[in-house]
Amino acid sequence: MSKQPLLKINNLSTSFRIGDDYYAAVDDVSLTVNENEVVAIVGESGCGKSALALSIMQLHPQERTKMAGEVLFNGKNLLSLSVSEMNKVRGKDMGMIFQDPLTALNPLMRVGQQIEESMKNHLQLSDAEMKKRSLELLNKVGIPNPERTYMQYPHELSGGMRQRVVIAIAIACEPKFLIADEPTTALDVTIQAQILDLMRDLQSQMKTGIILITHDLGVVAEMADKVAVMYAGEIVEFADVSTLYNNPLHPYTRSLFNSIPSAAHGQDRLHVIQGIVPSLKNLPRTGCRFSERIPWIDSATHEEHPALHEVEKDHFVRCSCYQHFHFPKDAEDLKYDIS
Amino acid sequence: MTFLKLENLKVYYPVRGGFFKRVVDNVKAVDDITLELKEGETYGLVGESGCGKSTTGRTLLGLNKATSGKIIFNDVDLLSLNRREYSQYRKDIQMIFQDPYSSLNPRKRVIDIIAEPIRNFEKLSSKEVKRKVQEVLEKVGLSPESIYKYPHEFSGGQRQRIGIARALTLNPRLIVADEPVSALDVSVQAQVLNFMKDIQKEFNLTYLFISHDLGIIRHMCDRIGIMYKGRIVEQGTTEDIYENPQHIYTKRLLSAIPDINPDNRDKHMAFRKQVDAEFNNSFNQYFDTEGKIVDLRPLSETHSVALP
Amino acid sequence: MLKFIIRRFLVMIPQLALLSILIFLLAKAMPGDALTGSMQANPNLDPKVFEELREKLGLNDPWYEQYGRWIGNLFQGELGMSYIHKVDIADLLGDRMANTFWLGLVTLIFTYLIAVPLGVVAGRWNESWADKLIVGYNYVSFAIPLFVFALIMLFIFGFGLHWFPIGGSVDVTVEKGTFAYFLSRIHHLLLPAITAALLSTVGTIQYLRNEIIDTKLKDFVKTARAKGTPEKKVYSRHIFRNSLLPVAAFLGYDIVFIIGGSVFIEQIFSYPGLGQLFISSINQRDFSVVNILVMLFGFLSILGTLISDIILSIVDPRIRID
Repeated sequence: MSKQPLLKINNLSTSFRIGDDYYAAVDDVSLTVNENEVVAIVGESGCGKSALALSIMQLHPQERTKMAGEVLFNGKNLLSLSVSEMNKVRGKDMGMIFQDPLTALNPLMRVGQQIEESMKNHLQLSDAEMKKRSLELLNKVGIPNPERTYMQYPHELSGGMRQRVVIAIAIACEPKFLIADEPTTALDVTIQAQILDLMRDLQSQMKTGIILITHDLGVVAEMADKVAVMYAGEIVEFADVSTLYNNPLHPYTRSLFNSIPSAAHGQDRLHVIQGIVPSLKNLPRTGCRFSERIPWIDSATHEEHPALHEVEKDHFVRCSCYQHFHFPKDAEDLKYDIS
Repeated sequence: MTFLKLENLKVYYPVRGGFFKRVVDNVKAVDDITLELKEGETYGLVGESGCGKSTTGRTLLGLNKATSGKIIFNDVDLLSLNRREYSQYRKDIQMIFQDPYSSLNPRKRVIDIIAEPIRNFEKLSSKEVKRKVQEVLEKVGLSPESIYKYPHEFSGGQRQRIGIARALTLNPRLIVADEPVSALDVSVQAQVLNFMKDIQKEFNLTYLFISHDLGIIRHMCDRIGIMYKGRIVEQGTTEDIYENPQHIYTKRLLSAIPDINPDNRDKHMAFRKQVDAEFNNSFNQYFDTEGKIVDLRPLSETHSVALP
Repeated sequence: MLKFIIRRFLVMIPQLALLSILIFLLAKAMPGDALTGSMQANPNLDPKVFEELREKLGLNDPWYEQYGRWIGNLFQGELGMSYIHKVDIADLLGDRMANTFWLGLVTLIFTYLIAVPLGVVAGRWNESWADKLIVGYNYVSFAIPLFVFALIMLFIFGFGLHWFPIGGSVDVTVEKGTFAYFLSRIHHLLLPAITAALLSTVGTIQYLRNEIIDTKLKDFVKTARAKGTPEKKVYSRHIFRNSLLPVAAFLGYDIVFIIGGSVFIEQIFSYPGLGQLFISSINQRDFSVVNILVMLFGFLSILGTLISDIILSIVDPRIRID
């Protein structure tokens, strides 16, 4: 228990306004990230994982967003900070890496300027010092010719190089905490491997805490220490990576594993999760949110108010239905949803 | 009989420069590839973005112009045909696109989307068209009543099935699937992949399956061609490629796939580093004196590699 | 860049040649010629006199000979004579060109002075009451015909309040070269310029507003915020610069549009510029002048597209011209 938590999220809910009503995309989520630890958040689009990431950074448009709960960073609740106080945290104490390196960089600014912007915001450095530091950063993220890239525009770089620049921006002020939102989804596999290696190297050097948002279970297996599986705005399973991969329990986690081709060697058919991920407006708000996608499981096995249970040490599963879950028999398999 | 054979296919794009915009160079998107598909099989074309795999598929459909070479389909060279003759064969080859969100016109109803190929190639009364559209919709597992709906009323997986329905209307024999599931979530992806396998059995379809995802390729394909810089560097059965890769690029591609078992992490990373080092050391010996990747050489009946 | 400009100018030559033949033939096809006006003015003169005059001026030659002569002269810098005003067209154009240029420039400045801030406010605080007000102004200014609005402005500020003169480009009583002369010119410019500017803001405001609303949601804006960049700088450094691209691209076209648009403004405000000369020359069948003016407008619109391309290549590093 010597580790002090770097980031502690307590009962965070984030709701967005649609029409006149607010709908929670992140619903009562609690999560802890320690120093030098990678916590992956996994789920399909619409499960709330990106909404959670942007909530920590408070990058949602304020006029349409309501947040409740606590985001404690170094013991300070970020949700109670003013905009200008929050600006002092963003970029300095926490950085963010975005999914698409093409759109994440300003097309009209040189790479150097974009890296230095963050230093300008937070550090009192002379122009020469900033340039020196930018070149060091570019070198650190594995860009072969820093001097040249410093003066280039984003469109002059390849996708992999751009993502390296995005990472350089995120670590420009040596933050203690990083959020990586699908950092390799837009990249080719060989580039993905390079970027993942780079992130791991940097992480071990800088002892950063990282929240890694992804839908790719392979990336999680390569990167994460702990994994939170999200569905419909809630964490449905949480464990360290080895436990989760060797003993997935929640029906959603098990379904995910069974539907990816790389985990289904030799198996002719992939598992199909019935129905669709509900839209924000149609999220089930009561009972087990995954129950409607496993209709063959007896409804009596779900809890009325599903809670996270610690089923073994540091392995949490929501709802008791996992104890009775089995995959559908052939006859029920693959019912196309007719609408 | 040859079902489909691409013979010495080249697709070059001219680069213009100078004061008078003369052609000064060519981008060799597809640079002299030869491959053959047997009826009923799934052939996977794998490679990273820009390797020419999509260009190959699009050229097969006549969406890109071939610079030279042959596309032999049913013993006929499609590239030597005139427009009218070509359209007869064209309906036997259909395409499934990557993004079900942008490949369907949002302002058209499902019936108009699916009926488009019928209207282009066959003369049917509107009643017959409607019946036919409902038929294919049922084939892809969508309700026949949904013909008057618009694409946005469907989920991603359903949309991709509409795209597949459109490809199926003319009873094609060959389907070019260009990254058919890359824009979809895993569970939806599983649904579409299963479905593609089902209809392949049912209608004896042949797939040219283009993808960058080696996991999906392994799951779907009987034979695989690895493309790199407009060339095929290795070709073989799925087993040949995954169990016994010979070309360094294939090895590098395979080693880059994340290992799904977190307990192998360090081992896998060390392996990848080793392959990367090998790649960097031996990289040059896979090219001929002009900088072109060398031609394929057979290793066994099924397996051939571009080794010097 | 230089290569690009030279090539574009070379492409311009056949375009202008085609235009010149076209307008020359059209002018020929119009009923009447340069002498028709004088004939109607002096019905007592013997038609034979006119016939001789036609022969002397070469008006009876085949069109290609006349065209060749005209073009030949153009190349030597001889724009020809105005048949009506009996002066060299160059002299006729000189002052008016300057007048039109100043009116156009001031209009352009006013247009951007009004449109850019309004577009920015509407885009940044879209859906606010200010935005709704600005969009409302846009609809009105788009819907109202120029000549109606110009007459209303002239009536209120010229005839009614006497704030501005109701015609001309300068007061006849002031001496050329003095400061009073300068002030008088500006005084004459203001009302037509403001009037034209108020109606030409639509495109700029709309573009800027939509661009800002789009750009606000772009990923790189999120990146900027994630760096801890204060909101004010997020706008000035990231959103506005990117949103101004299409506006900058239109600048070249705008220059031409404003000169073309001045035809009506000059007519209504009796402002002696090219537009007014154009209308009166058409009415008087003064085709030598009309031809030159159409050539000039044609040249300007081709130039406008070139300027737009150059501006865009300067402000947007992704667009390279060579």
